Amino acid sequence: MHKKTRTKALSTAALLTVGVFALSACGGGSSDDANAPVAQVSAESGTSKAATVLDKPFEKPDLILTDTNGKKYDFRAETQGKPTLLYFGYTNCPDVCPLTMNNLAVAKKEIDKSKQLTQAQKDSLRIVLVTTDPERDTPSALGKWLKGIDPEVIGLSGDFATIQAGARQLGITIEAPTKDKAGKVVSQHGTQVIAFSPKTDGGYVLYDEDATVEDYTKDMPKIIKGENP
Amino acid sequence: MTVPGRRAVAFGVAVAVAAVLTGCGSAERSSAKAAAEPELRVTGAYMPAPVTDAMAAGFFVVRNSGGADTLLSVRSDLANQVTMHSTKDGVMQEQKTFSVPAGGTLNFESGGSHLMFEKLTHKPKQGEKVTVELRFRKAGRIDVQLPVKPPTYNPKSGR
Repeated sequence: MHKKTRTKALSTAALLTVGVFALSACGGGSSDDANAPVAQVSAESGTSKAATVLDKPFEKPDLILTDTNGKKYDFRAETQGKPTLLYFGYTNCPDVCPLTMNNLAVAKKEIDKSKQLTQAQKDSLRIVLVTTDPERDTPSALGKWLKGIDPEVIGLSGDFATIQAGARQLGITIEAPTKDKAGKVVSQHGTQVIAFSPKTDGGYVLYDEDATVEDYTKDMPKIIKGENP
Repeated sequence: MTVPGRRAVAFGVAVAVAAVLTGCGSAERSSAKAAAEPELRVTGAYMPAPVTDAMAAGFFVVRNSGGADTLLSVRSDLANQVTMHSTKDGVMQEQKTFSVPAGGTLNFESGGSHLMFEKLTHKPKQGEKVTVELRFRKAGRIDVQLPVKPPTYNPKSGR
């Protein structure tokens, strides 16, 4: 615990340092209005909110797919009354998809250490990855990939049209994978993670690609309780 | 746990400071050296620890305090194939070249452009360094070391 605090203090110092450097680099010689304002700006940019709470939550999409064990998974039925984080991505994706899934998985591990939540609350959290590239991401391929991130994440594959329609119900547009001139498959991932409330089952919070482990770790306990982050 | 964490913080600071410095400097220098030879420096390079040995990404920033140049190709012993991609609306698009503007920067950053390594010779672990050869039209070859960072590494926060 003590060590954790130190790390935090360090990174705050880092932000301040950046602020000071920004001043000396840009401000040039004539700077009477020296340090304070810049430091404030840095602090603000460091704490900008990753979550967007929706005025009008999304209804849970009707997604009946196949999980990594090859079993039928009815998203609405299985996640009913459970705090759920949903992402649309694919495994042949080097950057944003693994980053997003790792951010969620690492945040979940952090939450598992929390004393603010009961074990039942922690166990209620569902993290779901729906592939946007079901042809390559078969249930077993998804399962193998998720083992490298967190085997508790639910990976779903199935008919592309079903997946596309489900994403559309959340305002997420995903085009079917195509082949480029070299014959390589080009897939598309979603750019958002949607959090569903255990109280209302509505998709009420959106996170974009810039959301970090820290953002998710901070917000997850609230989502688990169905509160606004 | 804390030692790599702190290191990552220190690394982040260095990157952030460099970013701010050059970000400002570029505007002043660009006009003076527009027609000059490129002067390239690569900073902030890293590879997030990949999930499997099938695929990995690489990121870096090329800072140019001289004239315009073009990044032509990338090579690495980690993979037979290393390609350069831009990303728009969640779709990756392979690009043959990337321009490095005079007095400007070329950013390969998460969510934007990235290097894609396919069919890796092995799955690199955190703390390892992956060497990459960048080939530029004018500046020629620049070798860059990509330290392998945690899979959730964020250069903005340094963690």
